[in-house]
Amino acid sequence: MYGGGNTFEGIKTDSLAQEDPQKLAAFEARIARGEKIEPTDWMPQLYRKQLIRMIEQHAHSEIIGALPEGTWITRAPGFKRKMALMAKVQDEVGHAQLLYSAAETLGKSREEMINDLISGRSKYSNVFNYPTFTWADCCFISWLVDAGAIVNQLANAKGSYGPYCRALDRICAEESFHLKYGHHCVIYLASGTPHQREMFQEALNRWWTPMMHFFGPSDKISAHTEILMRWKVKMGTNDEMRNQFLDMYVPKIWELGFTIPDPALKKDPATGKWAYTEPDWEEFKRVINGDGPCNKERLAVRRVAEERGRWVREALKSPKMNYVTPLA
Amino acid sequence: MKSLDPRVQRLPEELPPLQPKAPLDQFGSFEVFVQPKEGKPFQHEGIVHAPSLELAFVLAKEAFTRRFTCTSLYVTDTRNVMVSPTTEGNQNAYDLIPSVTEHQGGEPFEVYHLMKRGKQHLHAGTVEANSHEEAFSKAKAAFGSKQVFNVWVVRRSDIRFTRPEEQDLWLTLPEKKFRDASDYKGGDKLKEFLERQSSKS
Repeated sequence: MYGGGNTFEGIKTDSLAQEDPQKLAAFEARIARGEKIEPTDWMPQLYRKQLIRMIEQHAHSEIIGALPEGTWITRAPGFKRKMALMAKVQDEVGHAQLLYSAAETLGKSREEMINDLISGRSKYSNVFNYPTFTWADCCFISWLVDAGAIVNQLANAKGSYGPYCRALDRICAEESFHLKYGHHCVIYLASGTPHQREMFQEALNRWWTPMMHFFGPSDKISAHTEILMRWKVKMGTNDEMRNQFLDMYVPKIWELGFTIPDPALKKDPATGKWAYTEPDWEEFKRVINGDGPCNKERLAVRRVAEERGRWVREALKSPKMNYVTPLA
Repeated sequence: MKSLDPRVQRLPEELPPLQPKAPLDQFGSFEVFVQPKEGKPFQHEGIVHAPSLELAFVLAKEAFTRRFTCTSLYVTDTRNVMVSPTTEGNQNAYDLIPSVTEHQGGEPFEVYHLMKRGKQHLHAGTVEANSHEEAFSKAKAAFGSKQVFNVWVVRRSDIRFTRPEEQDLWLTLPEKKFRDASDYKGGDKLKEFLERQSSKS
């Protein structure tokens, strides 16, 4: 699971002027040749900062994303669904571990990242600030939010930073079970009783706006975006990712006989592009800035978990230990 | 705080004060190596943070072999991995490693190569040496003809290996089919549903 292609609070490009032009040219040539960048290689500050921000937000999204689904483990219908959901939630937390490690290779310690999450300085995907009222909401996340995440992750796995690509390869392999499981759950609701169908339809109505928000607003194609795309940090525009998601999943939703709550949603066969009603971007901004339905409780759960575990971590600390940046 | 989440209902009325994590709250770093199949070389899989080498082994098993089974894994403290410069293009990383006066014998050191940028480091072999510098030098003599981009050496005694009696660690995995995509075939159910829908209309 992942928090969308949108990396919040972009960094200004003013730092590029201070970079060594020869080193910058060699760095860009390496990326142009399709080679990966490894942690000990020279890299521009902008590249380092943007990657830290992006990978860190991705890691936070995995940790926080486990909460709206995790709460349904005890109420999932039947033993098999409980086991599968438990395994899925465990995977998401495992993905956060892999991603925090990849971000650490760029020089930000795990402690700093978690501090920034809990204090609200660092963001995570907006979609997880919405509540899962029913089992159908949980199924929506497992199928469609994960599907959106996979669209982003498959693109990012072709990026230029070695440790992030390696983490994503592993994550994508694990996500294939999540997607199939989520689709399986929704097929069962779709082919079930009228009440089950209604339950999923209501979930779809609730989640469609956050799902469209998931990929972020249309990119302003600035010099900044162009550089990040040339450096293979950003692998596609938010609109391209959203279009790919719509292309792959709208037919599958329609196949099950559900109605997507957007009368303007239609594919132009000539261009292959989907037309849709712009979701409420003011709501998106509001939720990012902390005023979503669940922002406070998500951070509160993390904060209390940190506090409650503190004595255990302190008891285990050894004076022989020393923090070092992971190698790869 | 009103919520549907039972965990939120159990939160204290007042949140604890926001205390920033101190350095090392997440412990030290350990590098993890996995052998995916019998006969394949060990490869670097990633890292874990743990309070000790022994716990690093347990956490590595959970983080890296929970879903995809393997034949063996081992861990070592990141501080024990000596790293060569990283090269690119046609430059061999071994060309940047100085040769030192070599002595007979010593203890075993494991050698790892980065064969392609973006891929994992792979175990290349073992040399006997009296120091990391000598191990690099001996590795250069033994494997230096290969083009590699980076070399790591680790003293074998610094590694926590999977012990023979621990090989059954992964035996539970074949029972966990519910973690595989192949266990969620919804095709028949979907077909039946679609047929039902079309017969209605």
